[in-house]
Amino acid sequence: MRLNILFGGPAGSGPNILTNILGKALVGQGNYVFYSRDYQSLIRGGHNFNVLTFSDKPVYSNDSKIDILVCLDENTEKLHENKLNKKGVILKGHKENMYYAGGIFKLLGLDFLLLEKQLFEISDRFEENIKYAKQGYKEETRNVCKVLKLRQNKFFLNGNQGISDGAIKSGLDVYLAYPMTPATSVLMELAEKQIENNFFVFELENEIAVINAAVGSAITGAKTMIGTSGGGFDLMTEGLSLTGIAEVPLVIFLSQRPGPGTGVATYTGQGDLNIARHSGHGEFPRVVLAPGDPKEAEELTNQAFYFSQKYKIPSIIISDKHLGESFYTINKKSKLISVLKSTLFGRYNSYETDSEGSATEDPEIIEKNIEKRLKKGFEIKKEAEKFEQYEIYGDENSKNVVVSWGSTKGAIIDAIKDLDTHGGHTQRGTSENPKEGQDLQAGCKFIQIKYIEPFPEKIKKELENKNLILVENNSTGQLGSLITEKTGIFIENKILRYDGRPFLADELKKEIEGRLK
Amino acid sequence: MNLTKNMKRKEVIIDIKMTNISTKTKNTWCPGCYNFQILAGVKKVIEDQIKKGKNKDDFAIVTGIGCHAKLFDYINLNGINSLHGRVLPTCLGLKIGNPNLSVLGFSGDGDAYAEGMEHLIHAARYNSDFKYLVHNNQVFALTVGQPTPVTEIGFKDKTTPQGVKVHPLNPIKLMLASGASFVARVFADVKQIEYVLNEAFKHKGFAFIEVLQPCLIFHQDASYRKKVYSLDKVNHDKTNFEQAWKRAQEFDYNGIALLGVPQNTEHRGKKIPLGIFYQTQKPVFEEQFEQLENLKNKKKSWKDIRR
Repeated sequence: MRLNILFGGPAGSGPNILTNILGKALVGQGNYVFYSRDYQSLIRGGHNFNVLTFSDKPVYSNDSKIDILVCLDENTEKLHENKLNKKGVILKGHKENMYYAGGIFKLLGLDFLLLEKQLFEISDRFEENIKYAKQGYKEETRNVCKVLKLRQNKFFLNGNQGISDGAIKSGLDVYLAYPMTPATSVLMELAEKQIENNFFVFELENEIAVINAAVGSAITGAKTMIGTSGGGFDLMTEGLSLTGIAEVPLVIFLSQRPGPGTGVATYTGQGDLNIARHSGHGEFPRVVLAPGDPKEAEELTNQAFYFSQKYKIPSIIISDKHLGESFYTINKKSKLISVLKSTLFGRYNSYETDSEGSATEDPEIIEKNIEKRLKKGFEIKKEAEKFEQYEIYGDENSKNVVVSWGSTKGAIIDAIKDLDTHGGHTQRGTSENPKEGQDLQAGCKFIQIKYIEPFPEKIKKELENKNLILVENNSTGQLGSLITEKTGIFIENKILRYDGRPFLADELKKEIEGRLK
Repeated sequence: MNLTKNMKRKEVIIDIKMTNISTKTKNTWCPGCYNFQILAGVKKVIEDQIKKGKNKDDFAIVTGIGCHAKLFDYINLNGINSLHGRVLPTCLGLKIGNPNLSVLGFSGDGDAYAEGMEHLIHAARYNSDFKYLVHNNQVFALTVGQPTPVTEIGFKDKTTPQGVKVHPLNPIKLMLASGASFVARVFADVKQIEYVLNEAFKHKGFAFIEVLQPCLIFHQDASYRKKVYSLDKVNHDKTNFEQAWKRAQEFDYNGIALLGVPQNTEHRGKKIPLGIFYQTQKPVFEEQFEQLENLKNKKKSWKDIRR
C-alpha cells in the first residue's frame, strides 16, 4: 500500500501544520512517510501545497496521482482534481484547518488519541484545535484504509535538519550566514540551538561579509561553517579562492534552487554542480559532497568538517530545496567520525608567501607552494577512498544502470523498486548491513555519486559496457559531463527535469522503463 | 660592577628579542613614503604594550590590498593579509573566533571607501572591539594612480582624462552618521599615529582612524602641512556630536593642492581638523552574546573548547 495525500491552500492557512501532524503520527505508528513542500515566494495568500506519501514499506518520494485531496480553499480542488485517482477522496468545505486533521485521521483509521497527542504537543490554541478536530473526526464517515501499528523506531526529519545535526555533532563553533532560501532553515535551526550547545550563530550584512568573517573565525581555530544558495554562493567565490591559497578550513553549505539569476526562489533544481566544482579563481584543492537524504546530509556534513580540518581546505556540501525541506523517514543511525580541531593561528595571506608568511614573487617559492597544494589534493583523493564515495542500489548484476546524485535518490529508488526487466529478474542488495533504501528489490542497478570532488574514478568499471541512464534535476546533465571528463564515458540516455519541480516516482518509473534494454 | 653591566646588556638583548615585531622582509615602499611613518607609529605602540606585559600572540593584524597592505609583511604578528575591501568582516571574524585578541585592521582608501564600503557602515553599527586605520592617500597608488571615492574634483589620470566630475565622499561624516563610537583623523606622522592609537586602544569598541597620507608619486599635496590644525588646540569637545559634525564639514576632501596643478579657488585655504572628532561609549559586540562573553571571561578561544 502506498498512499498520496495532498494538502493545499493559501499560504498561512495551514497545509504545513496538517502535513506535519499527520506525518509525525504515521511515523509514530512505525510507518514510512515522505512529504515535500511546494510553496510560492509570498507570505499570505497564493497557493501552497504539500504532498505526503506513506506506506508500511520505505518511501522516499511522491507520485503524480493523489489518493486523498485536502482542500483548505476552493482553488485547491480546481488545481489538483485532475490528479485524483478514480477512487480518490476529497476533503473540503470547512473553514477550520484542524477540522481536516480530524477528517484525515478518521479516513486512515487512526485513533483520535494520536491526533490529540499531536495537538497537545503544539499546545498553541489547544482547546480550539481539539474542538474542530473532534468535529471533523466525528463528521467524516468514509474510510480509505486502516493504518497498522508497526514496531520500529524511526526518525522523521528533513535534509536541512540533517545538515544542522551533522554540524553540531562535528563540533561546530561558529555558523555565519545571510538569509537565502532554501538554506535559511539551517540558519534558523542552528540559531535556536546555539545556547544549549554553546556555539555562535550570526547573520551578517551580506555573503561577502559572511565568507570573510568566516575566514577570520576559522584561522583562530574555530570550527566554522557558512550557508547559502546559488546567488549568495556566487558572491562568496572570491573568499572561496582566498581559503584555497591561505589554506583555511571552512565548511560551506550550498543549497540549490533554480537559477540563473534569482531564478525560481522557492523551488528546486540541481544546476549548481559546476559552480561547486569550479568557482573561485586559481587552482586549489577542495571537497564537494552531495547527500541524497537527511541521514547522508548528517554524515557528509561530518565528513566535510573532517576533510576541511585535516587538510585546511574548503569543503562544500551541495544540497537543494527538495532534499532540504522535504521530510523523510529514516530508520538507521548515522555513522559519524570524530573531527579533531587542529588549526593554529598564525600568519595567513591571500598572496603566495615565503617562510615568514610575507608576500613573495619568487618563482621557486611560487612553484613550491602550488605543488604543496596539489599534493594535498592527491592525499585527499587517496583518503576519500576510505569513505563510501558512491552507493549502489538494486540489482548489482543488471546491465541497466541509472546514474545520479543528490536529492533525485528518493524518486529513483522508489521508481526502480518494482521495475521488471526482461527476465523478471530481481535481486536483493547484497550488503550485510543495508543502508537506507539499499534493501530494495529492483529490476535495475542505481549508482548514486556522493563524492563529486574528489571524484571516485574507480567508478569507471561500474559504468563500462552498460546501458547507462542519467537522471538529473537540471537541463544539461552536469554530472554526465563530469563522468565523461573523469572516465571518458559518454551517457546518451538522459532523463532531465528542469521545471523547478522534483521527480515523481511513478512518472520517473515510466521514463526509466522506456530506456531499459 | 662588570656583572651588573653584563646583566643589563643581557636583559636588553632579551627585551629586544621578546618585543621586536619586525620581519626580515625587504621593504618595497617608495623612498620617503608616508607609510614608513604609519608603520613606525604602529610598531612603537604595539611594542610598548608587549614591554608592559602583553604577548605577541595577543595581537592580530589584518590588511587589505594596496600599498598599505605591505605593512603585513613588515610586522611579525599573527593575522591575515586579506582580500581587497574585506578587512572589516575579517576583523569581526577574528573577534568572533577569539574575543580576547587585540585586533588591528588596516585599509587603503580604495579598500575602505570603494570596494568594501558596505562593511564600513556595518562595522560602525556592530561596534566590535577592534581598531581600524585607513591609509587615505586619495588615490589608487599600487595600480598607478587612478581616482578613488575620496579624490578631489578635477583630478586627472589616464583612466579619467577629463578629470574627476563627482564629489568626494566625506568618511568622517559617514562614520559619525553610521554611529561609530570613536572617529578620528590624523596625519601620517609617527607621533600622531602613536597618540591616536594609544587613545584608540583605551577605547572599548570600534575605533575608526583615518590617516591622511599623501602619495609622493600620484597624489602629493604640498599644502597639507599648512592647512592642518589640531582639534586639541581649539577646545573641541569630543563627547559632543554636534561639534563633531560641524568640525567634520570643514574639510570636504576637495580642498587639496597637488604639486603643479592649479588649485580650485573655492577650496583654497580651507583648514583640515585633526584629532579625535567623536568618542562615546556604546555596547560592544562581543559583550552582547553570552557565548563570546564566556570565552572572554575564561580567556579562551573556540580552539580551546573541547566537546
